Amino acid sequence: MRIDKRRLYHLDWYLIINGLMLFGVGIFNLISATSSFYSGSFNFIIKQLVAFLIGIGLILIILHFDYRTIAHQSKWLYLGGLLLVVLVLIIGMAAGGAKRWINIFGINIQPSEFMKPIIIIFLANILYERKKYSMKLGVKDIMRPMAAIFIPALLIIKQPDLGTGIIIVLTGFSILWFVGLKKSTYAMLFAFGTISPFIAWMYLMKPYQKMRILSFINIDADPSGFGYHAKQAMIAVGSGRFFGKGYMEGTQHKLQFIPEHHTDFIFTVIGEEWGFFGSIILFLLFASFIWRCIRVAQNAHDEIGAIIAFGIGTMIFLQFSINVMMAIHLAPVVGIPLPFISYGGSSLLTVLASIGLLLNINMRRYMF
Amino acid sequence: MERFIKDGNTIVDSKYTWTKRILVLILIILLVRLWDLQIMRGSEMKRLSEQNRIRIKKVVAPRGVIYDRKGRILADTRPSFNIYITHEDIKNFDQTIDGLVSLLNISKEEIMERLEAAKGLPPSFPVKIKSDISMDDVAKIEANRVYLPGVNIQIEPKRFYHYGKMFAHMIGYVSEISDDELKKKEYKDYSPGDYIGKYGLEKAYEAYLRGIDGEKRVEVDSRGREVRTLEQKDPVPGNSIYLNVDLDIQAVIDKALENRRGGCIVVDPKTGGVIALVSRPAFDPNKFASGITKQDWQAIALDKAHPLQNRVIQGRYPPGSTFKIVSALKGLELGMINERTTFSCRGGFPYGGRVFRCWKKGGHGSVSIHRAIVESCDVFFYNLGLRLGVDRIHEMSDIIGLGRVTGIDLPGEKDGLVPSTEWKKKTYGQPWFEGETVSVSIGQGAVWLTPAQLVQLASFVANEGINYKPHIVNRIVSPEGKVLKTFEPVINANVKLKKDTIRLVKEGMKGVVNEGSGTAYGSRLENVSMSGKTGTAQSVGEKGRNLGDHAWFIAYAPSDNPSVAISVLVEYGGHGSSAAAPVAKMVTDRMFNEKKEIKEARLNENR
Repeated sequence: MRIDKRRLYHLDWYLIINGLMLFGVGIFNLISATSSFYSGSFNFIIKQLVAFLIGIGLILIILHFDYRTIAHQSKWLYLGGLLLVVLVLIIGMAAGGAKRWINIFGINIQPSEFMKPIIIIFLANILYERKKYSMKLGVKDIMRPMAAIFIPALLIIKQPDLGTGIIIVLTGFSILWFVGLKKSTYAMLFAFGTISPFIAWMYLMKPYQKMRILSFINIDADPSGFGYHAKQAMIAVGSGRFFGKGYMEGTQHKLQFIPEHHTDFIFTVIGEEWGFFGSIILFLLFASFIWRCIRVAQNAHDEIGAIIAFGIGTMIFLQFSINVMMAIHLAPVVGIPLPFISYGGSSLLTVLASIGLLLNINMRRYMF
Repeated sequence: MERFIKDGNTIVDSKYTWTKRILVLILIILLVRLWDLQIMRGSEMKRLSEQNRIRIKKVVAPRGVIYDRKGRILADTRPSFNIYITHEDIKNFDQTIDGLVSLLNISKEEIMERLEAAKGLPPSFPVKIKSDISMDDVAKIEANRVYLPGVNIQIEPKRFYHYGKMFAHMIGYVSEISDDELKKKEYKDYSPGDYIGKYGLEKAYEAYLRGIDGEKRVEVDSRGREVRTLEQKDPVPGNSIYLNVDLDIQAVIDKALENRRGGCIVVDPKTGGVIALVSRPAFDPNKFASGITKQDWQAIALDKAHPLQNRVIQGRYPPGSTFKIVSALKGLELGMINERTTFSCRGGFPYGGRVFRCWKKGGHGSVSIHRAIVESCDVFFYNLGLRLGVDRIHEMSDIIGLGRVTGIDLPGEKDGLVPSTEWKKKTYGQPWFEGETVSVSIGQGAVWLTPAQLVQLASFVANEGINYKPHIVNRIVSPEGKVLKTFEPVINANVKLKKDTIRLVKEGMKGVVNEGSGTAYGSRLENVSMSGKTGTAQSVGEKGRNLGDHAWFIAYAPSDNPSVAISVLVEYGGHGSSAAAPVAKMVTDRMFNEKKEIKEARLNENR
C-alpha cells in the first residue's frame, strides 16, 4: 500500500515540530545530565539518537498502514506484547533488583513500554462501536476491557515496574471513561478504586515500594533512602530559582546527589539548570503537545482514531505530570520516564510510535 | 455522548472539554508548586544545595621543630593518615560503622565515643576516628570507599620524636585535646581532634609551637569524596625552638641510666642553660602522638615505677651528704669554723640519749673541713650543724634556691623542703628539737630536694656565689628563620662570699674526686679535673621495706673554670660513689675529652 501524496500534505506539522522541539530539549539536557558519568555523555547521546532514527523509521512504517487496519489486527500486537512481557519475567535482565529488559540481538528492550500504545489500540478496537452509538458501558461490559488492562498491568507490576503498570491502568480507565460509563459502572469502579489500594498494599507491593509511599507521606521517615532522594530532588529543583544555575552547572545531579537523574529524575536537571523560567517553557511545550493530541482526537475521522488519539494524549499527559510531580515531591517516587526527555530507547521509541499513530489518524481524517 | 460536528470538522464532546480543564488544573498545580520551591523557597534550597556540596576542611598546621644546641632535629612532623567521618555524608550509619570496625583494628565503642565527643558540632564537621593508620589500612579503606560513604582519609602532619624515650620528660608529648581541656578558657581556640602539648616543653611552649591551621573549601560528591578544591587558606607552621640541650650529652646519660630509676640534670653554671635532662624510667612519646590506645595508656599510668614522673623536677629525695656543702658554706661564711677547725670523729656522735653514726665505723679521727668534705665525715657535720642551728642552714639553702622551685621552663615542677623552726611550728605546732638538726646537717630527716635544686647547689659553688634559673630553651625562631625571642640568663642567687669560704669548699669538692681518700676517687678523669660531692640518702622504703639507699652525686667541671654542673640521682642505687658519680664522670668525659677527639678528627678530614 502506497501513501497517497495528498495525504502527506495533511501531515500534522504542528505536532511534528512540537515533538521535535521536545526531543531537542531532551538531547540538549541529556548532554548535561550524563556529563558527570564516568563514561561521559557520548555513548548516551549516540544511543538516544540511534533510537530516534529507528523511531523515525517506525513512524514511516506506521504511516504506510491505515490506523484502522492496525487496530483491527491489534489482537496480534496485544498477544505479541503480552508474550514479551511474560518473557521478561522468565529471561529478563535484572537491573537494580528489577527485571525490566530482555536482550534481543544485543539490544536491551523494555517490553512494558511498548505495551502502553498497544493497549490503547487494542481498547480502541474493542470499544469504538460503543462510542460510535453512545452505548454507555455497563458493569458487565467493562469486564473484558478490564481484563485486557489488568493482565499486562499486573505482569508488569510484578517485574517490578510499578510506574509503567500505573500508567497502563490509568490510561486504560481514562479510555473507558472517554467511551462512556453507566452510573452503576461508576459506582462499581469507585468501590473498586477504594478497595484495590489496600489489596495492592497487602498482597502486591514490595517492601521497597511501600517505603517509597511512606517516605512520600513523611519525607523524614527514611532520611537515608527514598526520603533522601526525594529531598535532594526537591533541593535541586528549588535551588534553580528563577533563571537556574545555568547549563552544565547543576551541582546536585553532577555530584550524584540524585539517583537516576538521566532517566526518571531528569526533570531535576532542567529545574536546577534552567530554573522556573526554563520549567515553564518545558511545561508549555508539553501542554501544547497534549492539546494537539486532543485536537487530533476531536478531528479524527472515526471513533477508533478518536479513542487512540485521546489515549495517547492521556498517556503522555499522565507520564509528564506524574514524572514532574515526583521530582517536586507531589507524588511518590515511581519509575516513570518523562516522554522525549528521559534517557531510554524503549521509551523514546514508544513516544515516536505514538506520534506515528497520531499523524496516521490526522492524515486520514478526510477519508470516507 | 453525542458526537456532532461544529466549525467544519471539530467534534464537540464534553469529554474533551473536561480533559482540557484537567490539563489546565494540573499545570496550575505544577506552577504553584514550582513557584513555592523555586521562588519562595529558592534561596533556602540554594543554600541547602551549597551545603550539600561544600565542605570546609581544616588543614592542620605543622608544629614547630625542636632543635638541640647544634641544630640537630629532636622533634618535627611527618605525614600521617588519619580517618575522619562526616556524619552528614553517611548514608547508612550501621554499614559505615560496621565496615570500619571490620576493616580496622578499632571497636565500635571507640567510634561511638569519638562521635559522642563531637555531638555539639554541625553534622558537616569531620570527626577524627583514628590517627596514624598504617599503609595497609589506607589501602583497605580506599578499596572499600564505595561502601563507606562519609569516611575520609586525610593526610596530616603528625609529631615525630626522633629519639623517642630519650627526651620523653624534657620535650614531653602532644596528644589529642580532651573533653575537659576543651571546656577550659585557655583552649577556646581549639576543637575536638586537635593536638596539644600535654607534657614538657610541648606544653610549656604550646603557644609558640602550635601553628595556625589553614582552611580548605572543597566540593564533595554525595559520598563525601573530594571533587575539587574551591579555595584554600594555607596553614602557618609553628615556630621552631632551639634548646640549650646537647644531644650527645643527653645520649650519654640516657645510656648510663638505662634500666635504672633516677634522674640527671646538666646545666651550664654560667647561664643556667640546661645541657641535658634525663629521668628514668621513661615512656615513648611517639605512642601519644599517634593516638595512644587505652591499653598502652593504662600500662604507662599504672606502672609502679611511675614513668610519667619527671624525677629531675618532681622527685623529692633526702639529699644526704651532698647537703653538707650547705652547712660548710654557712659555717665558713659565719666564721664558726675555719681551715684549722677540727672535730674528732670516733665513728659515732652521742646526742640526746642516742648515738648518731658516722658512715665510717672506725671513725675519721681528727677531721678538718677539707677532709670532712673529701671523706664525707658525718660527725664533723653533726658538730657543725648543731652550732649553726637549723635556721641558719635554712637561710643558706634559701639563698641557693634549695627547697623552692628552680623556675626551670617545664610545667609541673615541685618545690622541696629545708626545715626551719618556723616551718615546724607552722606545720606541726611543735618546737624544733636540736636532735633533728643533727639529721638535717647531713641531709637526712625533713630535707627533701629535687635533682634540679641540687644542680643549683653545684652551680652556686662552681660560680662562687652566683647561680641562674635553669632554662632549656635558648631561642624561638619563626618558620622564616627570624629570631622571635631569646632567653637571657636570669639570676637566681647572687651573693658575695668570702674568698676563703669559696676556696675551702671548692678544694674540698675537688678532693672528693681527685684525692685518694675522696669518696668519688673512682670517678676521676685523667685530663679533666672534676669537683663533686657524693651523697647516700636513706630511703623511706615502700611499704616499710627498705629497697636500698638513694645514690646522689653533684659535680662541676673543670674544677678551675667550671662550664658544666651536674646533678645525678639514682633511686635505690646504693652509694653515691658507686652508682651516681660514674654518670657524672661519663658526662664530663664526653664533654671535655671525646669532644676534642671529634674536633681533631674533623680537622684531619679537612686536611
